[in-house]
Amino acid sequence: MGLGNDAEADRAAGGLTGLLAGHRAELLRFLAARCGDAGEAQDLLQDLWIKASAHADGPIANGRAYLFRMANNLVLDRRRAQHRAMRRDHQWLDETAGGAAPVEDRPDPSPAADAEIERREEADMLHRAIAALPPGAQRALRLHRIEGRPQAEVAEIMGISRSGVEKHLAVAMKHLRNALADCGYAPGAASHAQGQAGGDVPRSDLRP
Amino acid sequence: MNRDEDGIFAEALRWHADTLRDDMDWDGFTAWLEADARHAAAYDAVALGDALIDEHRGHLAGAAAENRHANDDADAAPVPATPAPPVVVRRGWMRWAGMAIAASLAAVLVAPQIMPPPPQVYTTSADSRTVALEDGSSVLLAPHSTLSIEGRHQQRMALSGGAWFDIRHDPSRALAITAGGVEIGDIGTRFDVQEAAGKVRVEVAEGEVQVSAAPLAQPIRLVEGRGLVYDGKGGTAVVRPLGAEAIGEWRQGRLSFDGAPLLLVAADLSRYAGLRVTVAPGLRDRAFSGTLVIGDGEAALRDLSQVLGVDLRRGPDGLVLDERR
Repeated sequence: MGLGNDAEADRAAGGLTGLLAGHRAELLRFLAARCGDAGEAQDLLQDLWIKASAHADGPIANGRAYLFRMANNLVLDRRRAQHRAMRRDHQWLDETAGGAAPVEDRPDPSPAADAEIERREEADMLHRAIAALPPGAQRALRLHRIEGRPQAEVAEIMGISRSGVEKHLAVAMKHLRNALADCGYAPGAASHAQGQAGGDVPRSDLRP
Repeated sequence: MNRDEDGIFAEALRWHADTLRDDMDWDGFTAWLEADARHAAAYDAVALGDALIDEHRGHLAGAAAENRHANDDADAAPVPATPAPPVVVRRGWMRWAGMAIAASLAAVLVAPQIMPPPPQVYTTSADSRTVALEDGSSVLLAPHSTLSIEGRHQQRMALSGGAWFDIRHDPSRALAITAGGVEIGDIGTRFDVQEAAGKVRVEVAEGEVQVSAAPLAQPIRLVEGRGLVYDGKGGTAVVRPLGAEAIGEWRQGRLSFDGAPLLLVAADLSRYAGLRVTVAPGLRDRAFSGTLVIGDGEAALRDLSQVLGVDLRRGPDGLVLDERR
């Protein structure tokens, strides 16, 4: 079946945390490359440790890949939280600068309502950003990512090659990034300085 | 330069798709990230964009009409050239939501006279989420699901995906939940609803509900300990008894099936275990009975493929359950 399966080996290594200890250096290196900051990577590795130790015991097929995936998701979660915070700041500035209604006219939403509003706005923003994509990119994105059709099917529907679909999707993601950055949602490409090009082991002193 | 950037994005997309695979080359990915500072930035953008789309898929896909209803101006002008109207709309909405959630009776009475409350839309990604209703009822929304709540008394809900409902019985309120072609009404109970793969499952743990759908000759009364499977394609519904412990079992990290078509099993695994699973056309109606533990989705899937004697292989878009060759 061609599936990597080293569940036995993982079980012997003392669960996820044992496995994490064994792959610590690689995971740290990955995290540093992924988030472009050695300090943040250390931090994330701690989070990963906590998550791994909370994980119920039991065999995990291909635990190493599982840990990398967890690490990758941790970075994503953190980025999302950062971007949401950034967007909040941005918006607050917008509203104060734009001569919006006096603050006392705006009831303080409860945190729950706040999160809900944010979610709603995010959805609307995304909706608009997708609507503004170039037609081919938009169609490919809708078919593949929103309707969940496999890329091969998208290629067939659009009458183009697989690599054509890939190109459309790449263009879509690039435009989406820019559109969201314009809305103050994502910081654009340059916000997290990446300082470790060329260095094979990212360290904080390699950073500008 | 520009072309180059598109190339980087295409690579980032490919890596991103691979992260779901067990045989993902994490060392190669690390090396790719290290090779050029733009790589990590592009990957970040791809992963974030993807997560956003995932989270709002319900809204983006099916909810065009609902969006129009809630936010006429924004939808009528999809090109964000004129930011002013959406801002006005949003502020009004914010005011309403702030008051409603504060659960002040005065606010609830006043706001609807100004304008009908727009739907509240809740969408989950990888985690489930509890939605508290004003009357003390609650809904536990499953991962990758969307629930929209409308009406002055939160009496109209639409679900895509799965949810566990714990609803206080209130005869004065005609609560109705729509999910994939069925309407669930006359509710006062604890029950689970799963809408996936063209089928809707309603399972009652306590109390009773009434399920209706256009193709059904009459509404079906569903009591405690019974489950109904509605097949949207055939317009048929089957009712069968269930073990109480099996109802809403996803909350405990398990999924049980009793003669369920494989397509449905795969859809559930996709939702609850965060996998992308497709089923070869010839296998979609293969029946599966048994319990899967969803903590490690891939392991569950592997168990499933072994039990059924089918192949599990990697496709370009995730895992594929395929006929054994």
